[in-house]
Amino acid sequence: MNHTPDAATAGNGGSFDPQQAAALLDQATQQARRRFTPGPPLLWVFRAVLVLVVFGGYWLSVRGHDPYSAPSGGLLAVIFVLVAINIGWSTWALKRAGAGVSGPAQRKRQAWLGVMLVAWIAAYAFTVPLYHASATHPVWALYPANAPLMIVCLVAAATAALRKDWPMAGPALAIAIVAAVAAFGGPAGAWLIMGIGLCTVCLGTAAFKVWQQRRSVVRP
Amino acid sequence: MTASELDPLIHVPTRLKIVATLAALPAGDALSFTRLQDMIGLTPGNLIIHLRKLEDADYISSEKTRNGTVSITRVTLTGHGRAALGTYTRALRDLLGGLDGDGTADAARPGRPI
Repeated sequence: MNHTPDAATAGNGGSFDPQQAAALLDQATQQARRRFTPGPPLLWVFRAVLVLVVFGGYWLSVRGHDPYSAPSGGLLAVIFVLVAINIGWSTWALKRAGAGVSGPAQRKRQAWLGVMLVAWIAAYAFTVPLYHASATHPVWALYPANAPLMIVCLVAAATAALRKDWPMAGPALAIAIVAAVAAFGGPAGAWLIMGIGLCTVCLGTAAFKVWQQRRSVVRP
Repeated sequence: MTASELDPLIHVPTRLKIVATLAALPAGDALSFTRLQDMIGLTPGNLIIHLRKLEDADYISSEKTRNGTVSITRVTLTGHGRAALGTYTRALRDLLGGLDGDGTADAARPGRPI
């Protein structure tokens, strides 16, 4: 860490002029924002690549199937590895951002994470009755492509809006809209629409995070 | 406005970093002493001196809790401290706006390395 000459011992700021103060204020604020952000921009870029590989790969694997059949085992293995990396990275980033932080906002965030976990489980738990109802392959293709993300992101958008957490509510709502549109793409096309749509949302979120972290406090 | 009118408690590099770091948290949230120390890069003794000055002015509040044998100190920026930083930032903005007119502030634009 760079050490700024400390005039504290002098008690009155010494030769610390307004330009230096403005630069230091921006530097300290930007550093704090970076370190307290649970979803860093690079993680969102990784997510953009992830959704493009997962959904795009799935689309390439199942397009033109007649009758529709499941994708290759190799692709499923790649999907599981990428999703595991995403979960691991997200968990690490969340723990790192929240280390040493406590208080009402932190408790609300933890409660929100609990709600999101339940939403994820509920969205995928619905596949059990689908299995018992002997759902056809096209249904199996369409449901996991967009329904869980639509359910989870609608819950995320609603709960984030209640907390007035607009940077979270925005992307969540955008993903829910992409998922709703993708549902009209059919068993194969839904995966392509989801891949492109989610990649765009993730890259947009990464760009927003960079702007949010770098914007000046002194010069808005 | 002149530089001498800036809040002298905040207009000190280390204390400005402390206040700016705490202000990046949502209002009411606290930061542990060890994490703050890690982020500011000061020795514990030096950090305590600055925190004490800010606490005396009611800009921050600290709370010590004991978890078994370990005691944890948490520091929060008070509403008063947040307002003081807001006033300080506005004053800086005014000062730099004045410098813009002289054509000197562009070279010292915030965000560029000091």
